[in-house]
Amino acid sequence: MKQKSVRALMAAAILLIGTSAADAHIVAARLGDFYMGASHPLTDLQDVVLWIATGVLAGTLGASKGRWLIPVFPVGLLVGLPLGPLLGNVSTELADATMMLAIGMLLAAAAQVPTLLLCAIAFAVAIIRGAANGAELGPETDRLLYAAGLAYVGYGSITLTMALTVVFKRASDSATSWRAIAVRALGGWIAAIGLMMASLALAS
Amino acid sequence: MSAIRYLRLALLGLTLALAALIRPSALNAHEAAMGVIEFREVRPGAFVGRWSIEPSIGASRIDLRMPPHCFLRLPEMNCGQKGLVGPITISNLGSNMSVVLIKVIPIEGEPRSYTISTANPVATVLGTGAPTLEAWFELAKTYVNYGIDHILLGADHLLFVLGLIWIVGGGWRLVKTITAFTIGHSASLAATAFGLIGVPERPLNACIALSIAFVGVEIIKQQRGETGLTARYPWIVAFTFGLVHGIGFAGALAGLGLERRLLPAALLFFNIGVEIGQLAFVLLVLALIWAHRRLGAVVPRWGEAVPAYLIGSVSMFWFFGRLARVLAAI
Repeated sequence: MKQKSVRALMAAAILLIGTSAADAHIVAARLGDFYMGASHPLTDLQDVVLWIATGVLAGTLGASKGRWLIPVFPVGLLVGLPLGPLLGNVSTELADATMMLAIGMLLAAAAQVPTLLLCAIAFAVAIIRGAANGAELGPETDRLLYAAGLAYVGYGSITLTMALTVVFKRASDSATSWRAIAVRALGGWIAAIGLMMASLALAS
Repeated sequence: MSAIRYLRLALLGLTLALAALIRPSALNAHEAAMGVIEFREVRPGAFVGRWSIEPSIGASRIDLRMPPHCFLRLPEMNCGQKGLVGPITISNLGSNMSVVLIKVIPIEGEPRSYTISTANPVATVLGTGAPTLEAWFELAKTYVNYGIDHILLGADHLLFVLGLIWIVGGGWRLVKTITAFTIGHSASLAATAFGLIGVPERPLNACIALSIAFVGVEIIKQQRGETGLTARYPWIVAFTFGLVHGIGFAGALAGLGLERRLLPAALLFFNIGVEIGQLAFVLLVLALIWAHRRLGAVVPRWGEAVPAYLIGSVSMFWFFGRLARVLAAI
């Protein structure tokens, strides 16, 4: 089972690396700026890994803690979006990597994060990624529609990831159950990706 | 009140907030930005072209690319002995210009039409003769994509479907209701496309907005504990309003001037595209309802009526905007 999960995750990672942000612009030409906002984060590995990591972390802490992220995460994206143009040429790579490393380690350690801290982490991730998505907007983009699309996909992704995690890692599972170990292993991989990304960001 | 009701409220609230963001101009989503250009063969291989429907962004801004052996300088086009055969494309299709129909009127044989859209930016002219398998495949690709685009950009249609999901809930009742809506809009789409019925687009769009307001009222009734028509006979309501929405879908095909022999197939593929888009939307909504249920995420009691009133407000805003366009045209 674990091997299957590893294969599936590797295949997903390869597919995600294979796509580029240019795909989102094809969607934009076809369906407009709302759908560009909704599809843009899904074509960026940083968004995908960080959003999943945040959703999984919230899901493992239980529905009562996780549900706060349903409003917090999209609002964070909306707050971050207008900050994007202020970034200029500054990359969010190091911040992304740091958040990945932190969330990955919390998952790997199966840490019991308080609700307030969880919301703060999710809000920080959302602001960083909102700004990163906002930095790439062209002057011809309708920012209101793009923001609506981004918030919508943020809400949908985080809600579905949390719910799937709640179903996968049941509250009754012991710390040594294969499900709990699988989540911790996933956390380890996310932390490793964060560490590699941080090294690359510091080296460049 | 069950948790699922709260979840639907949350979903509706979000959708309505987003719908409200869309400007009135964008809400005329079914008055597609398109242009029609005709090429009439005046002698073998030589054509005279003209825009019969000029695109809103201006004909001069359309970068039309004909097959490499054709020399185009409007109004003239010369393709030599080889004739007009090969790929046609427009390199700058975008949100301002989504569909261009190219009509070719040869000296001999039936006129032919080719649709270039952002979903299918290249049309291949195959010359005279029966359509090949490749031609059918291209037609399917074009119109399935066009149908998906049309439903995904139709905020009013999606809002109506969302309202139905809210009233009906899940399970078989929802399957029956969505099927009734599908049968309704497929029937009227076909009838309109074949010219059996004809309704002016602007008043129809106003009626579509009213149908959403009706669903809003039905939601309020349900909240008050009254059994409305939709709650009692959801498939009848879905079928009836499906007929209205189907005529609206046909508006996207009207004016494309498709060849009569290709119309049934184009209609079928377009409808398949609409169904794919609609099904994807329904599945997404159901997945989110399931996720909310799992997370126990509920909207506070004081906010439960807000989305129902928003649905009514947004639809009436659309209705008055569209009514103003009807009155302006008189």
